[in-house]
Amino acid sequence: MRSPVGRIARRAAASLAFVGAVGMLAVAPWFGGEVRAASEGAREAFVTNQGGDSLSIVDLATRKSVAEIAIGGKPAGVAMAPGGRTAYVTAPEGKEVVVVDAEARAVTSRIAVGKGPVGIAVHPDGSRIYVADWYEHKLYAVDPTTGTVTGSVDVGLSPSGVAVTPDGKLIVTADRDSDEVSLIDTETLTRRAHFAVGARPFGVTIDAEGRRAYTANVQSDDVSVIDIASGSVVATVKVGSRPYAVALSGGRGYVTDQYAGTVSVFDLDTLKVVGTVSVGEFPEGIEADPSGDAVYVACWESNTLERIDTKTLEVTDRIPVGEGPRAFGAFLR
Amino acid sequence: MVRLLASALALVAVLPLAAEAHGPTRQRVVEKIEINAPADKVWAVVGNFQDMSWHPAVAKTEGEGGNAVDATRTLTLQSGGQIHEKITKYDEAGKVFNYVITEVDVKVLPVENYSSRITVTGDGEKSEVEWWGAFYRGFLNNDPPPELSDEAAVKAITDVYTSGLAALKEKLEGGN
Repeated sequence: MRSPVGRIARRAAASLAFVGAVGMLAVAPWFGGEVRAASEGAREAFVTNQGGDSLSIVDLATRKSVAEIAIGGKPAGVAMAPGGRTAYVTAPEGKEVVVVDAEARAVTSRIAVGKGPVGIAVHPDGSRIYVADWYEHKLYAVDPTTGTVTGSVDVGLSPSGVAVTPDGKLIVTADRDSDEVSLIDTETLTRRAHFAVGARPFGVTIDAEGRRAYTANVQSDDVSVIDIASGSVVATVKVGSRPYAVALSGGRGYVTDQYAGTVSVFDLDTLKVVGTVSVGEFPEGIEADPSGDAVYVACWESNTLERIDTKTLEVTDRIPVGEGPRAFGAFLR
Repeated sequence: MVRLLASALALVAVLPLAAEAHGPTRQRVVEKIEINAPADKVWAVVGNFQDMSWHPAVAKTEGEGGNAVDATRTLTLQSGGQIHEKITKYDEAGKVFNYVITEVDVKVLPVENYSSRITVTGDGEKSEVEWWGAFYRGFLNNDPPPELSDEAAVKAITDVYTSGLAALKEKLEGGN
């Protein structure tokens, strides 16, 4: 199932998805009888190791770390270019964004950005990288082709998480020390709105429809559910102690609870917690596999990347990575 | 002059919030000690959240809630400074508990967002105590002064742990 043949089959399934259910059934025998979602799973995870000053590359088929690249500057945030050819890593102490060729597994350039770059996200068309600066309270826009900062906008205090709507029109930042989020227009790079969420929002995640955003609020131990169109909080979900970030998969939200050592799972419709998964210590960065089968969690204290099966809500693999993994952002490709 | 005033006002506006902030690199300290006493005896001392008299820096422990999750204590130090703490996890059978500092002046302990765990593991008549902590430095911005740097935070916590564990060993092995 994880063989190259399986991968090709899944790619074929994805390209055939438009023909609908009949097409899927016809393709099903390729997977040995298993009917899968049309989306292809991620192949690799790029995990920032803050203590180790490095980036671990994990092969998700064999579920092993296959490379560790030196980054420097206490890497924290990570984002992938569309298609996954390039990974962008923030180095808060190096005050730069480190550009990594994902295929070659090598650093190709370093772009000086601000004074404390933490959160990072890429525009869906790949033309811009957005970097939150923790110390300067700004969001920077960077052109990855020229490697230059093209603009910046003042946001709230100590912005951390950054996410861009799927249509590429809006950026959402979690402004940690203002207890707010900002909505920024990508075209004009202006702050269109800002409003209160829970206490100390850190990670922010937008759903595939661009309808809702979810912030993990470190101090109030909850998740704010935001309606992006109206710019307002529509609900608050209580989760475990010290939530860090949110992943979305199969109609559920998965939240890393740093102090509890758990991932809280809630239903996106009822907004009720439906499960709590014990993972390693200090779970932080979290992202859903596009296949819908799994969610991956970086555990800072355990030095692991852990795989949660979304059907059983159990950890199936604890994969050793470098020292102090944070993987804050989109780290799968 | 106007600019000077504006930046002074901006600073005032930022200060109350800044007390909750931290730099982006979390630090970690782990110290262990072997004690010639059974785990139950060691746990009875170190696992009692409401009495930290085993630590030489602590003059007084006041708190409520016993050893339950969300129980609190205020440590008054020999120096006069205070540390406010709260239990986040407590496993009696596993002889391990986690707690956090809810409030401390960086002049007393130069750390922010401090969380900690104490574990006792037994091996017959011997035990090992592990004291683990994760925290950020006390300075809330770039380029910290030396007394509020990452190194200063790590050194302060390391000193707290090593002096505390040594005193714990002496107390338990001395039969007090």
